[in-house]
Amino acid sequence: MTQDKNTPEWKAQKTYAQNRIDSKHKATLPPLTPEEEARPFAKYLYEEIPQPDPVHYGKMEQPIDPADSIGPEDINRLLDVEALERGVEIGWCNRPDGSGYIANTIVYPGVTADMIDWWFAWHPLEDLRYRIWYPPQHGGIMLSPIDRARILDPAVPNREKNWGVTHYVTENCDCGMENVDISFRSPADMGFDMDRFNRAAATFAGGGGWAVTVHKDDDSITAPAIMCHTFYEVPGGLRHRTRFWMGLRFTEQGKPELCLPRGVQVPSVAVQGLARHNVKEFTRFREFLPRIYKELGHSMYC
Amino acid sequence: MPIKLMAASRRRPGLTRAEYFRYIEHYHGTVARLERFKIERYIQNHVIDGAFGVLTDTSHKNKATDREAVVELHFDSFRDLLDTLEPQGVEQSRANMDGKYFADEPTNIIVMAEEAELPVANPTPKFNPGLGEPNQGAVKVMHYIMRRPDVFPNDYYRLWRLAHDEALAKAPYANEMFRRIVVSKRSRVNDNDAAARAHFRMVDPPVYDMVVSFWLDSMEQAGAFRQYFEALRESPLEFADWSESFFLYVRPVRIIDDAPPKD
Repeated sequence: MTQDKNTPEWKAQKTYAQNRIDSKHKATLPPLTPEEEARPFAKYLYEEIPQPDPVHYGKMEQPIDPADSIGPEDINRLLDVEALERGVEIGWCNRPDGSGYIANTIVYPGVTADMIDWWFAWHPLEDLRYRIWYPPQHGGIMLSPIDRARILDPAVPNREKNWGVTHYVTENCDCGMENVDISFRSPADMGFDMDRFNRAAATFAGGGGWAVTVHKDDDSITAPAIMCHTFYEVPGGLRHRTRFWMGLRFTEQGKPELCLPRGVQVPSVAVQGLARHNVKEFTRFREFLPRIYKELGHSMYC
Repeated sequence: MPIKLMAASRRRPGLTRAEYFRYIEHYHGTVARLERFKIERYIQNHVIDGAFGVLTDTSHKNKATDREAVVELHFDSFRDLLDTLEPQGVEQSRANMDGKYFADEPTNIIVMAEEAELPVANPTPKFNPGLGEPNQGAVKVMHYIMRRPDVFPNDYYRLWRLAHDEALAKAPYANEMFRRIVVSKRSRVNDNDAAARAHFRMVDPPVYDMVVSFWLDSMEQAGAFRQYFEALRESPLEFADWSESFFLYVRPVRIIDDAPPKD
């Protein structure tokens, strides 16, 4: 099916080189252009952003005991809900191998798996869609042309649209604006046992990312991380569990691998920064998703 | 093998090609065997011939237009790679200090890559002392393909794969003669390549996101790659800067390889 390339969803397309240049401007969180102001979702940018629950946010003050963390090779432990509830669900630490670990959980009343699937496919199509998620720290986003065509392909279910797709994100995870390239994977490619996953989880979004400052130079460190957002049905909504493993990447064969030189650990300020950012952006998400889904959730276009 | 380091070098001033090959294989190769560190496999690819840019270019756009060898160092993990380039308890490894005796180090080109094997229509069917091991060959073509800067890396790989499949369909001799094809995709860990740059002493090197290797039975089949290459370039898909790309016909030489020969 031929797609109409005169829509805002297609006109947002930039080249790879141009997007890297533009990211420095996006990082300044610039005022909206007239075209952006005219978009039906621009109003969300100007809303008051809900603040995290102080008790919840306070749990990111100090690191947890690394013995309470799990590694990405044990990802299927995220499907044992009873064990998760007995463990530490909110916190961060450096693991003994130097990697950074983040756990977070939050309940979303009135949210469904379809809303999650729609949001993760819908938001990468324009900078402003990403900015309205968390205006204080989200600068912009880009897709490649082939990935954009996949997202906009009505034959691909929303749940699967991001599988194999890379989001080129500009955001500040409490350590300065970075370009973060997140390559999304299917839950099977994350390592989940799909029989167990289908019994325990409602939906999922995650993959591997590489982050580097928008002002990259030859000495900049490009840092890998594995990101895992798993959603579970609970009475009246969904429970979201997040895990990040910082300093690890997926190999070409799909195995998690530590990428830190011996004796080096992910700076704790970076782990804590991402943990805090995660609490803040998903506190906003919890409140905002049902409203925007009701308004625009019927399509990828608007 | 999870990760490998590919370094393409040209000979230092004052060396003939024969002197360079003798030194890198017999002296430098021996140094690597004696100080193996975490190297799992080490292949030297000695260049027989090659071409830089394309026939429609009127002058070269590559910074350096000659290469004598591409070495491939395979490791089980990225950490093993780092441990070898920056060995603990040693200020500089002998291999590191040896490079200046044979290579023009500032022009080295490195690619830290992960391999993905592609199917071929006609792998070597069985052991044959004349042809060598199954799925190998006496000659390899290493194709360094420069990504166009406007193309997203994930699209670059996809577009190349489409163009590659179409080219093979249009190049029957190549389709018949390619015994093995391995894609070496640049890893993002290569973004932090300070250790490798220091080890190979490069200055402002060009960045290649992909090297594709094709195995042939012998140099007599080199025309198969040329047929494939012309078909590849006819693709309307725009993903490569062909003027900054190059290919090398090489003779693989095993320096370190514990794997038993296949039969």
